[in-house]
Amino acid sequence: MRLDKCWFCSSTLYPGHGTQFVRNDAKIFRFCRSKCHKNFKMKRNPRKVKWTKAYRRLHGKDMTQDFAFEFERKHNRPERYDRNVTENTLKAIRTIDKVRVTREIKHIERRMTGKKAKELREAQKELEQNISLVKAPAVLREDPSLTLPIKLKVSQKQAEAHLMEE
Amino acid sequence: MAATFASKCSRVGRSLWGGLGNNLSGLLSASHETACNHFLSQQQRTFIQMRTVLKVVDNSGAKKVMCIQALKGKKGARLGDTIIASVKEAYPNGKVKKGKVVYGVVVRAAMQRGRCDGSEVKFDDNAVVLVDKQGQPIGTRVFGPVPHELRQKKHVKILSLAGHIA
Repeated sequence: MRLDKCWFCSSTLYPGHGTQFVRNDAKIFRFCRSKCHKNFKMKRNPRKVKWTKAYRRLHGKDMTQDFAFEFERKHNRPERYDRNVTENTLKAIRTIDKVRVTREIKHIERRMTGKKAKELREAQKELEQNISLVKAPAVLREDPSLTLPIKLKVSQKQAEAHLMEE
Repeated sequence: MAATFASKCSRVGRSLWGGLGNNLSGLLSASHETACNHFLSQQQRTFIQMRTVLKVVDNSGAKKVMCIQALKGKKGARLGDTIIASVKEAYPNGKVKKGKVVYGVVVRAAMQRGRCDGSEVKFDDNAVVLVDKQGQPIGTRVFGPVPHELRQKKHVKILSLAGHIA
């Protein structure tokens, strides 16, 4: 039994699923479902189709280089059956999968965050500089009750308190 | 209009009209937009039956062969079946001449064939290897990939001559 990868979307092909297309130059294309197969027939490049693993890896959305991937290399030489080896391999597969999945999740999380600090700094700066767009400075000086509606850091709040006292 | 005609063709009689409809659409598709092409690219691949022209992929001397009878199978021949065919096109110096009636083994079929593990295989074209009445190939070389369904059909000689086994 061999678990292959779909040529288009890189998902695993379990036995009993999918079709394979053999081109006349003897290159075999395996597809997990007709969606991938139809996209292939339309001559779409998987590196440009957003939902494929190829696109995600290319554009840095998913982890590319990791130690956990080293274990999943494809061998073409048949292994002699050894009961202990098989057992250990099955146990190892489970743990390596867990590690790999947690690392991938962390990678995506890291990608998603990282903008908050920058956004906060930009917001503060905008508030200081461009409050005059919201209300005229003359009006603000008279009536400083136009409180800033956004949650600020403590230092900013103190500055605001000073303003209000004035 | 061409699209509806082609759809009618595909629904009603694939055997006789199939070749004609495809030829017509081939002529018209040059002038029509890619929408027409996209519709036509979703072909229903069927059996190899009477009047099906197949490519000959051995060095027996024939180039194109037309099926006149599919032995075994009411609807037609599939991958790995034998057919009786008439040679339509041949190389000038070959063992087989034009007009001869020969037996052939289908080694590549555009129609998908189910494998015993549940997946399906399909090839790029319809190809045949000419054999004699006993099932031994007439030629001495086979070009292109062949499926390992031939082993079950006891065409071991063809498998041994083949370059790639799909």
